[in-house]
Amino acid sequence: MVSRMLYYISSLLLLLSIFSEASLAAPPEGYQFLSLTKAMKQSSEEQKPMFLYFGRYGCTTCRKMHKEVFSDAALNDEFAEKFVLAYVDTESGNRIRLPNGERTTEMQFASRNRILGTPTFIYFSGDQKPLFKRAGFQSIKQMGLFNEFVLDGHYKTSKLKEYLATK
Amino acid sequence: MNRLIVGLCLCFFTHPLLASDVWSFEQKIAVTAKPVKGVFHHLEGAGRKHIAVSGDSIAVSWEDDHSKDPQIYVTSKKTGDHVFSKKLQVSTGLEAYEPAIAALTGSQFILAWEQDGSVYVRSLSGQRLSMTSRLSTDTASQVSLATTGHNSFAVWREQRGRSWSLWVARLDLDSTGLLVVTSKSRVEPVELDTPVLFPTIAVNDVGLMVAWEDRQSGHTRLKYSYSVDNGSSFSESQYLNEFFSNRNKYDKGSGVTRVSMSAYAEDELVAAWMDKRRGGTGYGIFAALGSDDSFGPNEKVHSKQGDTLPHYNPATAGNNAGNFAVAWDDYRQGNSDIWISSYNEDDEWSIDFSPKPASGKGEQSHASIALDNQGNLHLLWIEREKIDAPSRLWYSYGKPR
Repeated sequence: MVSRMLYYISSLLLLLSIFSEASLAAPPEGYQFLSLTKAMKQSSEEQKPMFLYFGRYGCTTCRKMHKEVFSDAALNDEFAEKFVLAYVDTESGNRIRLPNGERTTEMQFASRNRILGTPTFIYFSGDQKPLFKRAGFQSIKQMGLFNEFVLDGHYKTSKLKEYLATK
Repeated sequence: MNRLIVGLCLCFFTHPLLASDVWSFEQKIAVTAKPVKGVFHHLEGAGRKHIAVSGDSIAVSWEDDHSKDPQIYVTSKKTGDHVFSKKLQVSTGLEAYEPAIAALTGSQFILAWEQDGSVYVRSLSGQRLSMTSRLSTDTASQVSLATTGHNSFAVWREQRGRSWSLWVARLDLDSTGLLVVTSKSRVEPVELDTPVLFPTIAVNDVGLMVAWEDRQSGHTRLKYSYSVDNGSSFSESQYLNEFFSNRNKYDKGSGVTRVSMSAYAEDELVAAWMDKRRGGTGYGIFAALGSDDSFGPNEKVHSKQGDTLPHYNPATAGNNAGNFAVAWDDYRQGNSDIWISSYNEDDEWSIDFSPKPASGKGEQSHASIALDNQGNLHLLWIEREKIDAPSRLWYSYGKPR
């Protein structure tokens, strides 16, 4: 399980989009979500943390989060200013290249790595290290705490669970 | 005593049939050479039609990148042979993906694939490939095939700007083996401003059925449409997957994707797909049986022991004798294995069965299946030592018990 997770996360760091169909994806409105390739490049160049959103067209919980969480103006501002945002559609046929050289689709990549549901979020540090993964509905407060954990560098000294317990 | 007898009788009559009670699988036969670092095989065509049987010939088609760029290949063998022939490269462009194969009569086959943004077909007779024919006009992909005797049909999707269409072509084989388009029609009457994805097609002597992923209602639904005039016109599209929306006001229905469909018996159809109606446990495999121009209710295919896990990559097969089956992969035994189910004598889905050659150590996934008219189930799949390892294709077949 650990090796699978490591493969999954390390793959993300080197994932390259071959082409994409932007219309197939459905990230929240008002956010500058980029293709994973562009987001990784930008995150690396600017040393900004990256927020990766695994979504699915028509996903109920994604839609709920778009309306009730991502609609929050403060959260929007924080993501816009301090993160590079990437979106991957877990049912799409978009082709990607994995670090082992394999070309496959976003959907096959997600299923191979046992992404059970959407939304699934992964935070990366500015130096492209995967920090943690969260799946399912997250409140505005939770998202704010996740962002704080990353932006204030708490991940360097504690685990997310420990950090959240202090809040 | 009487209760015991009644109980034993009930046990006997309600014993759930295993798919392993239907087929006994032979040892596996390598389709491709031993895994090579950096070489990956894919069976990801729309409808998952990668294996076909014509007479005493079996042919399989796939994509791999052993020549650096992804290309399409085909190989074949006679039913009694233990090795496949030397592979032939089917595609002719820079990059090619997602092939499909279907059987014609007389040990001939039809192949279709995506190549450099277009969709092509060509036929295979013995070790001879015909010239290629391009089917598409605009940017095209996700082609699938169905045949009945000499009648061949292809379905694919095209994108023109922000507009999407599904097209069906009827193809005739001329005396040189060239596939000639004799008719070409759009399935939905107008271009759509939302994508259509991963179409699949099935044909029998009474009609032609197309099913696909549709996104007009703000989420993905499966739709189908029927033709009684060899694909010249299609019925108004109907929904294939049942509508579930009960969690909250944002719920527009459970997700569905990757439908596969096959014809069986004289006029019957089986369609199977990945369905998220179970919520947090990921995709289940659901199916519907149809006849003529419609489908019956949705049915869960996999049995209880797979209820808490996701399932992937469903493939269907059927034959004129009335047999049908669904195959998929899941990791209920730790690593990914191939699983099969079919109807039992009570017209219920059997207990899931994982054929020994396609299970156990390593990752077995992406099954494609074909049923010949003797009821033999021909199985093709991808095997890897671990999930990021180079791959190999294997074949096995199950004899009816």
